[in-house]
Amino acid sequence: MTYAHGKHAEPKTFLSKYIFSFDHKVIAKQFLWYGIFFLLIGGLMALMIRWTLAYPGEAFPVIGNWLFPETGGVIPPDTYSMLFTLHGTIMIFYAITPILIGAFGNYCIPLMIGARDMAFPTLNMLSFHLAALSGLILLSSLFFPLGGAAGGWTSYPTLSTLVGSPGIGQTLWCMAIFVLGASSTMGAVNYITTIISFRAPGMGYFDMPLTVWGLWLTAILNAIFIPVLGAGVMLLIFDRVFGTTFFLAGAAATSGTGDPILFQHVFWIFGHPEVYILILPAWGIVSDFLSFFARKPAFGAKATALAMTTISVLSTLVYGHHMFTTQMSPLLTQSFMTLTMTISIPSAILFANWLGTIYKGSIRFTSPMLFSLGVVFVFGLGGLTGLYLGTVSTDLYLHDTYFVVGHFHYTMAASVLLGGFAAIYFWFPKMFGRMMNETMAKVHFWGTMIGLNGVFFGMMVVGHAGMHRRLYNPFVYEFLQKLIPINTFITYSAFVMGFAQLPFLWNFFHSLVKGKVAESNPWEVGTLEWTLPSPPVNYNFEEIPVVQCGPHEFGNPNLPEGKDFQYQTEKLVEA
Amino acid sequence: MSFWDSIKAPLDISTNGQEIDSLFLYITAWNVFFFLLVITGLFWFSYRYSAKRNKKADYTYGNTKKQLLATLAIGAAVFFAIDLNITRMSNDDMLGKFWNFPGDEEDTIKVEVLAQQWMWNFRYAGADGVFNTEDDILTNHELHIPVGKKVEFRVTSKDVIHSFYLPNARLKVDAMPGRISRLWFEPTQTGTFDIACAEMCGTHHYLMQGKMIVHSQEEYLAWLGEAQTVANYANDNENIDNFWGWKWETNK
Repeated sequence: MTYAHGKHAEPKTFLSKYIFSFDHKVIAKQFLWYGIFFLLIGGLMALMIRWTLAYPGEAFPVIGNWLFPETGGVIPPDTYSMLFTLHGTIMIFYAITPILIGAFGNYCIPLMIGARDMAFPTLNMLSFHLAALSGLILLSSLFFPLGGAAGGWTSYPTLSTLVGSPGIGQTLWCMAIFVLGASSTMGAVNYITTIISFRAPGMGYFDMPLTVWGLWLTAILNAIFIPVLGAGVMLLIFDRVFGTTFFLAGAAATSGTGDPILFQHVFWIFGHPEVYILILPAWGIVSDFLSFFARKPAFGAKATALAMTTISVLSTLVYGHHMFTTQMSPLLTQSFMTLTMTISIPSAILFANWLGTIYKGSIRFTSPMLFSLGVVFVFGLGGLTGLYLGTVSTDLYLHDTYFVVGHFHYTMAASVLLGGFAAIYFWFPKMFGRMMNETMAKVHFWGTMIGLNGVFFGMMVVGHAGMHRRLYNPFVYEFLQKLIPINTFITYSAFVMGFAQLPFLWNFFHSLVKGKVAESNPWEVGTLEWTLPSPPVNYNFEEIPVVQCGPHEFGNPNLPEGKDFQYQTEKLVEA
Repeated sequence: MSFWDSIKAPLDISTNGQEIDSLFLYITAWNVFFFLLVITGLFWFSYRYSAKRNKKADYTYGNTKKQLLATLAIGAAVFFAIDLNITRMSNDDMLGKFWNFPGDEEDTIKVEVLAQQWMWNFRYAGADGVFNTEDDILTNHELHIPVGKKVEFRVTSKDVIHSFYLPNARLKVDAMPGRISRLWFEPTQTGTFDIACAEMCGTHHYLMQGKMIVHSQEEYLAWLGEAQTVANYANDNENIDNFWGWKWETNK
């Protein structure tokens, strides 16, 4: 590596070490704190939404009176719209993206490919600072007159133009997304470059851990499609602030005419790949962990990598299935339906490979493994229920119902979150030099699993019963009144899921200071980051390692007695 | 009410709603099969090959050509045997039924629907059979239709995007400013049913409720006569806003 001579001295001051750091490991932690902070806010919002659906007109417990003094603690309908809008926005862009992509992308990519840092450290730092700015803009929008954005996270015009949202909150929402988009694009460019040019000598693309594959494909999709969203929200800002009419039509357009459906096209051209942007890192992580803890080479690792690549390509061609009810031409619905269905080919391959990996393994049920197995379970449900929505005729009925909400929470929220937790439990020792408590982690896992299945399966059930989305009080409709008990059940499950995060938080913060000191390789895994001390030193690798075998070398019968794995820096043992 | 009844989809009162329900069941059958397959593997392997029971893992590399082909075969089998089947069935339903709009010669009930924050406006052509004229019958919130006759809707919106959702007919279509979307169905039962807005349309989205009253043929004619009388003397024809309708375009 060229900069072996030009190493900077280790930063000493608080500012240069923790705030304006160029070190990918520090930036990763910044993103992790950021993500966990927003995860808590988004989660609290979810509980407030669920409370309203189970107990319409009743005061939110404990903090209700403090948050909504005018209504005696009851969440008012306009605030309810802001809650589900910001819950979606925050969870997708400010919680999942920073944790999976920001934190673990930054942390894992250089360490796992044997690099000393990202290709563009300054850009990396700027990426986090823009994300922080964006978070500030978003949160500040809540304190303006008329409050924050309330048009749903999809913010379809004309509701999101001045016709439906006169407050400044929606404009600030657009700005926040635009700035965050710039931040994500910077990260994406950085990841792609780093992976292509900074891999350690000897590491071909198929010698990369599947985690890196997932992050790489995500970065590519991000680099291509985030700018599309950026363009969309920028046009929306134009409509709101400068009086253009890109998205206004009919009686709403006073001068010239645009088309609100144009925004939906732009949004979903980005929005469908976004689903895979979120899930791909989790798939990569799970594919690795299943092999790591089954102590067996990943079954069909190459096929897994190629299946993920295929899905990334297909994900760009199917966005129309989000818009079936806008009555596009039958030719288009047919094409989008068929293309959507093709995604099941690579998905089936992924599942076959995951099961093939644990088959005849010697499975260690550590916390990262439990969460990974959890991902296989919930993604199975999430993936399969997508079939109903990709099918045009069933989508006529199910579109915009809670069935959709349940489905995408299984794929995006449940799978990605469980994958994120697996990653946190797995890399925590490397990041902070201490172990997390396994018992607490298992309590966390089972609480979360029970809670989330109650919530998201319950949502699909009420969705099939016809309950549509984003209703402040669904029970004004006669045909939904019979769903009150099951909605209450969903809310109980949501609280179970919420409270199940307390052991995680305790575990995380307690382990930071009091956890058992971690060895350099507590999980006995052979990828490059585990050849380093925990936590790794400044600039990671004293000598750039030379890679001689794949990332999943477990259970080789030629290994000496008492050892069942080998490092990627070791030559593959042969008889 | 039993638990099962309490989570059932709403009563289907349309001639074609059963197509959606049966396709839903068909997909469910396959989904149950595949999900059982996955979790059987997941739980059985987790039990059988835990480190306690299986001290030493097998050393198998899954990158051989044979294994690659095997996984690809699984994927292809799923696609050709199931996905394309679902696609075909759905397409047949769409082209043969849901989007097979009644021809011009057919005698149908025609209704223009204008969605606005937060109510539904309905317009019937009135005695002259021409839309957007002085004798049009205008209602809001309430849609009156006869049983056993095809009803055609043309839907648009005045302000933001709404979605005209008839849970009892398993149908919805977006109401978009600047566009006119189409929907048709044929009711098979009389009664009063909910009309809902399915697309987020602002703070009072949840209150954008309408009622669909399906009459018997005779009752409908009685209602129509009465409504026509009311329209003839009560329509405020000085008010330009009352002429939100448009010329009915026939189906091609």
